[in-house]
Amino acid sequence: MNTNTSLSRGHAWQKWLWRLLAVAALAYLPVVLTDRAAFGVALSNMQLLNLGLTQVNLMLIAMLGALSLNYLTGSAGLISIGHAAFYATGAMTAAITGSQLGWPFPLVLLSAAVSGALVGVLAGLPSLRVRGLYFVLSTLAVHHVIVYVFLEYQFKFFDVVGIPFAGAKLGGWELNTPIRWYFFLLALVVLVYAGFAASLRTREGRAMQAMRDHELAATSMGVDVRILRLKAFGLSSAVASVAGALFAYLLTNVTSEAFGITFAIQFIAMIIIGGMGSLPGALVGAAIWLLLPSIIGGLAPRSSEAVGLTRLFLVEGRAQFVQLIFGMLVIVLLIFAPRGITGLGRDIRQLLASWRGR
Amino acid sequence: MFGQVLFSGLALGSIYGLVALGFAVIFKATDVFNFAQGMFVVLGAYLAVTGISLLGLPFPLAILFLVIASALIGAVIHVLLIQPLSGRPMLSVIMLTIALSIVLRSVIELIYGPQGRTRATPLPMGVLVVGDVRMSYLHLWAALVSWVCMAIFGAFFRFTSVGLLMRATADGHEAAVVSGINVNAMNRVAWGIGTTLAAIGGLFLGQLQIASPELESIGLLALPAVVIGGMQSIPGAIIGGLLVGVIEQMASAYISPKSSDIVIYLLLLVILMVRPWGLFGQRELGRV
Repeated sequence: MNTNTSLSRGHAWQKWLWRLLAVAALAYLPVVLTDRAAFGVALSNMQLLNLGLTQVNLMLIAMLGALSLNYLTGSAGLISIGHAAFYATGAMTAAITGSQLGWPFPLVLLSAAVSGALVGVLAGLPSLRVRGLYFVLSTLAVHHVIVYVFLEYQFKFFDVVGIPFAGAKLGGWELNTPIRWYFFLLALVVLVYAGFAASLRTREGRAMQAMRDHELAATSMGVDVRILRLKAFGLSSAVASVAGALFAYLLTNVTSEAFGITFAIQFIAMIIIGGMGSLPGALVGAAIWLLLPSIIGGLAPRSSEAVGLTRLFLVEGRAQFVQLIFGMLVIVLLIFAPRGITGLGRDIRQLLASWRGR
Repeated sequence: MFGQVLFSGLALGSIYGLVALGFAVIFKATDVFNFAQGMFVVLGAYLAVTGISLLGLPFPLAILFLVIASALIGAVIHVLLIQPLSGRPMLSVIMLTIALSIVLRSVIELIYGPQGRTRATPLPMGVLVVGDVRMSYLHLWAALVSWVCMAIFGAFFRFTSVGLLMRATADGHEAAVVSGINVNAMNRVAWGIGTTLAAIGGLFLGQLQIASPELESIGLLALPAVVIGGMQSIPGAIIGGLLVGVIEQMASAYISPKSSDIVIYLLLLVILMVRPWGLFGQRELGRV
């Protein structure tokens, strides 16, 4: 008993130390990636895994998307293969309010959130009528409709080059360097993560998970699953929509082609890689999906030296090779570790603990 | 104008119907909603390229090569990927087929390069003019072969003993197991057939256009086709395919070429809202 309490106290103390270290590392990371050096020691491209800060920023935005899809699919049990549509909604709203009307950036993000929530509730309406596979298909159809609207909008008011986005600033603080973007996005990811975590602990959050696990049981406990579904859709797509607006501002130019079905699929892949229904899993999945391509790119030898398969995989067909690895990763995880990498980590930790206990 | 559009719609629709039929066979047998069906179409186009251009086979032998190779690939996919996932939640299975299509696409692009392949077709070129409708022999051939394939598989399911066992398996898994049917073998055959039908569709789509991975999006039109026709209905899949072909051609001729997909998906949305079991499917009763 005695050892137990001291152990748990040690745990809490350790936990805070780890958190402090994590915060320090996250704060120092952009400096390392910008200076290409850590503590005065220059690091080679290989040692930095060929990563740049812009890649990390894109990862943070993808994390918002993965977290929101995880909320919808992992926690509420609503499968959507049209999540890119809400990114497109956010980007389009930002184009109207930001690029056309010239609203200030915070208002643009707010408008993206509001329109995302509205469109999300609309897209969730079929869930009142159809279940399972039919609902999945309705999200696919909705995705095609929204991307088509985006395309028409883009060609009506802009041109084939795409929609320009400029002037992201919060008050007097202009988001004009990758480091500023990094801290802004990092804060947002932490905020959204904490928000989702808190929302899942509330009464409604628990009701939502009950609905995912057994709809009839949840209904008989007095949960109105219809309203709950629409709420889950609204919240999830509001976050995705803000992520879409940020994505547009970070890239400063987007076309409708950016939000194709491949873009939607990557979010499903992220939450499957990370572990369905797990908030840290969504972060892990997004990190792997966004960082692996540039890490593999860093492995590529100079194109003149490469021969044979190395040349095919790392130089000429690098994009295909990355896709191949992603596809295989998803397949292997689905077959051997259906709870994703975080689930795998938990299993291994339990295994180690049981060995130690013996 | 109208007759011309209708003709090309029906000809393309026959190919879509063939692909959709393959999709429906897989769905009925294993309950897998196969998002890789579009990639199977691409696979067929490239198997044809391999057989005709790279191996230099005469056309009938190339077809034989295509059928055998795609059937084998389908069966292997079932053994390696689908069987281990039986009984898993729907999203896992859907995502598996999506991941499969990503893998297939990257392998095809690694082998053949990401650009499309054009080449001379061994099929007769030229145009048959009936009234004011110009029918290319290629379209006619594609439609003809599609219907012959559909008839062959219809007869296979109707008259052969394997076809009977497969229908029994699709009707009730447990009952089939109890009767001593090797359910896994039946499902393997279903995957082989489904892949082959898509590959034959890909053979013609690759001839009508160019063989490229972009054929996937055309192959994926089998999804709305199947849902519009009714997911549990084999004739529904074929009619859904025809309908999608005609609607696509009409929309791109009379509205705008960009709008053809959206019209189909809007129709899908309407069908899902009004008649989710499709035009020819059986109404599913809610189960607890």
